[in-house]
Amino acid sequence: MENKETYWSENLRLIFICLAIWFAVSFGLGLLLVEPLNAIRLGGYKLGFWFAQQGSIYSFLVLIFWYGAKMNKLDKKYHAEG
Amino acid sequence: MNRHLKMAFMVAPFLGILGFIGADYYSENQAAKNKIIQLVPEGHCDIINQSCVLKSGEFKVNISDEAGVTEVNSTFPLDSATLFLVNQSDQMTPYPLGMQKSPYYWRSPTELRSLVGEKGASYKLRLIAKIKGGQYISEFYTQTTK
Repeated sequence: MENKETYWSENLRLIFICLAIWFAVSFGLGLLLVEPLNAIRLGGYKLGFWFAQQGSIYSFLVLIFWYGAKMNKLDKKYHAEG
Repeated sequence: MNRHLKMAFMVAPFLGILGFIGADYYSENQAAKNKIIQLVPEGHCDIINQSCVLKSGEFKVNISDEAGVTEVNSTFPLDSATLFLVNQSDQMTPYPLGMQKSPYYWRSPTELRSLVGEKGASYKLRLIAKIKGGQYISEFYTQTTK
């Protein structure tokens, strides 16, 4: 029972980390900080614009795989592979 | 692909849509805030000879006069446009311009031609062009060159 609760709380912690990064990348870098980031150029594109258009999507993909890998480890740690 | 990866791939599109809605809502709020932007003449301004362009970034306003009717033509649609003729004592005569055909064209009969019709004459003008989310203002001189 205790194991289940720790497993769930660690899972929640991972989800909140993912959501915080999702917010920071999509809203933070792509919207709120877009003007200062646009002063930096990346391959000819303004960085703020790039984050809003592509960078955030790449970050989401990385997040998905990172979450999958971390959850795999968690499953093994708690013997919860289904 | 483990079950967590499958779940993450299923949730991601919904988060993407949520982000899109949030960004749109935020941008709309930002755009609605009132901003004042100054327009500056692009080169010499001669309204009588149809050569006067005011500019700020990609936004341009062309001002011309034909037979006593002064016309403002902008690159973006305007909500309203008012032209002011300013005399030597800094007294302004406002001319609210009326929309013609589309919100890109605004005009009104003014006294400008009678004031600067002759070669070498110059006069001070002010323009307020209102656009969604802000207004463009400018103080400039027109000088008739020919």
